[in-house]
Amino acid sequence: MGYIDAIWMGIKYLFVPRATLKYPEVSMDLCCDYRGMLKWYDDRCISCTMCARICPSGAIKMYKSDTKKYPGINYQRCIFCGFCRDICPVNALEFRPVHDKAYYSLEGQMQKPMEFVKGPPVEEEPKKVKPVFDEKRGLKYDSA
Amino acid sequence: MDATATAVKIILIIWHFIISPEFFIPIIFPGLITVLVVLLGLIWFERKLTAKVQLRYGPYYIAKRLGGATQLMADLMRYLQQEFIIPKDADRRVFVIAPIMFFALTMLPIVAIPISSTYAAVHSDLTLLLVPTLATLAPLLVIIIGWSSNNKYSFIGSLREGYMMMSYEVPMFISILAMAVSYNSLSLIQAVQKQTGFAWGLVINPLAAIAFFGALLMTSSRFPFDISEAESEIVVGPYTEYGGIFFIFCLGAPYVKLYVYSLFFSLVFLGGWNPLVTPLTASPIINAVLSGIVLLIKAGIVMSLAVYMRTIFGRFRIDQVLRLGWHKLFAVAVLSVILSLVLVGLGVL
Repeated sequence: MGYIDAIWMGIKYLFVPRATLKYPEVSMDLCCDYRGMLKWYDDRCISCTMCARICPSGAIKMYKSDTKKYPGINYQRCIFCGFCRDICPVNALEFRPVHDKAYYSLEGQMQKPMEFVKGPPVEEEPKKVKPVFDEKRGLKYDSA
Repeated sequence: MDATATAVKIILIIWHFIISPEFFIPIIFPGLITVLVVLLGLIWFERKLTAKVQLRYGPYYIAKRLGGATQLMADLMRYLQQEFIIPKDADRRVFVIAPIMFFALTMLPIVAIPISSTYAAVHSDLTLLLVPTLATLAPLLVIIIGWSSNNKYSFIGSLREGYMMMSYEVPMFISILAMAVSYNSLSLIQAVQKQTGFAWGLVINPLAAIAFFGALLMTSSRFPFDISEAESEIVVGPYTEYGGIFFIFCLGAPYVKLYVYSLFFSLVFLGGWNPLVTPLTASPIINAVLSGIVLLIKAGIVMSLAVYMRTIFGRFRIDQVLRLGWHKLFAVAVLSVILSLVLVGLGVL
């Protein structure tokens, strides 16, 4: 009967290894040009304000300090398009492969230049794995 | 010295009261405290087993080293803090009392279950009939829950539970009749004492075991008969309007029913407290303890099998369930009675 077949199939599947990634400890390896959160190098910045002018959602704002203006970012508005990195003449903005950091308050996402220079907060690096296509199981993960 | 003597006497009196079967069986083992512990373990085991067959992890983050075992305590803490809302047009008193009675009445048959041949709370010759009869009280309250919610989805869900109740009670009692004929008594203690060696109820009359197991799956709302509980057609069925601790009562009660029925199944069909080799000739106290542990392990095996059905079956429609109950289970139960009569008539039993 079909019932016995179903029960036998369930028992067979008990011995197949699991297919999920244990996410925060293990995460997928991202390709080299991944547009994640930004890191700003204050020693290279020349205060040209091009990044704030081209940002389509108004996420970068310039903050005045003594003589120069420095950019701060608002991650509530950032759409990770990469225009600011493309237009910066001195390559002072860089993308890091970090996309999944969360903040406890909305105000924590509006960062002034002092915090912007530190880059995205990363406590520990998760172990990276790469997805590999496999005929029998579909997708397997190998360490990168 | 007089004070210590009276203190020791009082402690001895309290100890004898706790050990006496009339207190121990309904409250401690397999009663209230064991029911709550088994409920936690059973739901955790169901989620982990379902996850393993579906190639994923079950509850994982709450207590990583224990494998997520305290996930249910976390769920319980969350539901205890929720606000309990009573709809404006619902029947207030019945709405509040019905889930409480539902949960309490599902635990009622444990009173009549004996743990070993000398340790039982109800000394009666009719316990084989008493346990399922007391367990039949509980599904009526599902209909009351659905009616008092004043919600058309709850009402449809509880009527479906009523249809199912009609179709599993009859095969269940007919298969119990078959076993009573083969054991020649209606007492659970004598039923277990007749199953010596390899002659378990399963081997004597497998048709009755199949009919009773099908009825067990239907009464405790295990897949594929999950109709009244968790449906995508009728929000949550009869329990739609409940929040907070009453939701835990409503969803935990089928698991308690599963526990009670699997204790009964292991007493009548799986040899009760006899392990396959019988060393149970030690002193009565150790005898009772070992019997209890063996009974609990057998009930655990039955519960695991019932819970495993969730991973492989899809849900039946209500008309398919009724057809299964009245055509197939009823026929199997009647055939099992005929089988028992033939075996008794031939003098085999």
